Parts: sequence; C-alpha cells; structure tokens
Amino acid sequence: MPEAIEIQLKKGALELCVLALLHQHDSYAYEIASRLADAIGMGEGTIYPLMRRLQSDRLVETYLVESKEGPPRKYYRLSDAGKKSFENQQMAWKSFSGAVEIILGGVK
Amino acid sequence: MTRQAFMARLREGLRGLPPQTVIDVISDYEAHFADGASAGRSEDEVAAALGNPDRLAREIRAESTMTRWREERTPSSAASAVFAVLGLGALDILILLPILMGVAATIFGLFVAVVVMFFVGTFLLAAGPFADPPGGPAAAVLAGIGIMAGSASGGAILTIVSIGLMNALVWYGRLHYRLLKPALES
Repeated sequence: MPEAIEIQLKKGALELCVLALLHQHDSYAYEIASRLADAIGMGEGTIYPLMRRLQSDRLVETYLVESKEGPPRKYYRLSDAGKKSFENQQMAWKSFSGAVEIILGGVK
Repeated sequence: MTRQAFMARLREGLRGLPPQTVIDVISDYEAHFADGASAGRSEDEVAAALGNPDRLAREIRAESTMTRWREERTPSSAASAVFAVLGLGALDILILLPILMGVAATIFGLFVAVVVMFFVGTFLLAAGPFADPPGGPAAAVLAGIGIMAGSASGGAILTIVSIGLMNALVWYGRLHYRLLKPALES
C-alpha cells in the first residue's frame, strides 16, 4: 500500500517539522501553518488537528500573548516531553534518511 | 468560499462534539482567517488553503471520539468511534458495514447467551437443594457454580475480544488517514 506509506511519511514528517520549528522559537498556528503546510504539501488546515493532538499528548503547551489589534494570540511552546520527543525523532529521522540516501545513491 | 461559509460548514460538521472542543476548534480557525486577512490574503485564498471544511470536521470528530474511546471503554464511546472512523471514508462502507454488523450482532448474541447461562447457573445453585435433581442436590449446586464461573469467564474473554476488535479498527482508520495520530508510532 504505497498510499498508506506516503501518508505515514508525511504525517511523521509534518509532526517532526512542527516540533523542529517550535524548538527554534515559540510560535502561533498561523505562522506554523504558512511556513510548513505548503512545503510538505498538506493543507494549512491540517496544522490545527495536529496541534490539538500534540497538546493532548502534552508535547506542547499554549499561552496567550496580547496583540496590538484583535484578540490575544495563542502561542505554542515545547514542553520538556516535547523536547525529548523532538530529539528522539530527529535522531531517528537522520539515521533513517541517511540510510535511504546511501541506498538511493548506490542505485544511481 | 467566504469565511462565513467555511465556518458554517465546519460548525455543522462538528455538531454533537463536546461544546468546549467546538469552541476551541472554531476559535482556532477564526484566528487563522484574521491572521490571513492581516497578511493581506483574501478570505477565498485562506479558505482554499485550509482545505475542505467538511473533511476537516470529520477528521477532528474522529480524533475526538477516538480519544474518548481511549479514555473510557464504554459501548457508547465505542459506537461513536466506529461511526466517526466510518465517516472518514477511509474504509469502504459498502464492504465493511455488512461485516461489521455481522460481527457486532454475533458479539451481542454471545453476550446475551453468556448472561442467560449465568442466570441458569444461579437458578441451579439456588434451586438444587430444594428440588430433587438427578444426581442429588450437591451435584446441582456444583453444576450451578460451574456454569456461573464458566459464563463469567466467557463474558470476560468476550469483552477482551471486543476491545481488541475496536482497537484494530481504530488502528486501521489511523493508518489510512493522514491527520490522525500516526499508527506506526514507536
């Protein structure tokens, strides 16, 4: 089922990218969505269910920041568990993608 | 699509979820439209980039009911999770529904049988000493206890099997739907 594999890949990659972005600096959903969704090829709307899940898994925490215009904005930051999860996933991704690269290079 | 049309369809799709969940989701997407507007995008563009609101609502609903199923193992949370997973369209309903109904009917029938057997056992146990059963009262009492114990363990196994089947269904739905929690998580 290549379709299922692609879905799993994108799902895992999107989560990893969100964690990576939040590892650099706290952010809000619109910024995360506009930076990541297009790059990975998933609709911007997919960020919100993902953020909800990360929150219910306690990988991210939210806090409100007053904004000049409009209602206060919800910011996300990594929790300690989120940092740990990011480091594990980053390591797993690097060793996985490195192995795939080597094999693909060999085929050429 | 305008912001209003998008939000109306999203709201419609979320109906029946816990009010707090609906409020949270709605305010997330409202904020997205507001941010989009201040970045100079039209409502049309923002709505198009967000994707189909009906599908987003179905996915949020599936995730929410699956979380509930994980937290409370009740027949009603199982039923709403099953319907939400089916609603995703990740599974072919025409093929799956007859099978699912067959499985559900079988499990229900077995549960009824287990309950009936339990009462038969109770009756034998209670009536044994007073009636004059073949083999004497002691045999009837022991047989009653045996049947009760047997049906209780049957019921326990049945419960474990149904929970296992539910989890398999949820796993399958997740595997086929990109928004949900990755099924292959370590």
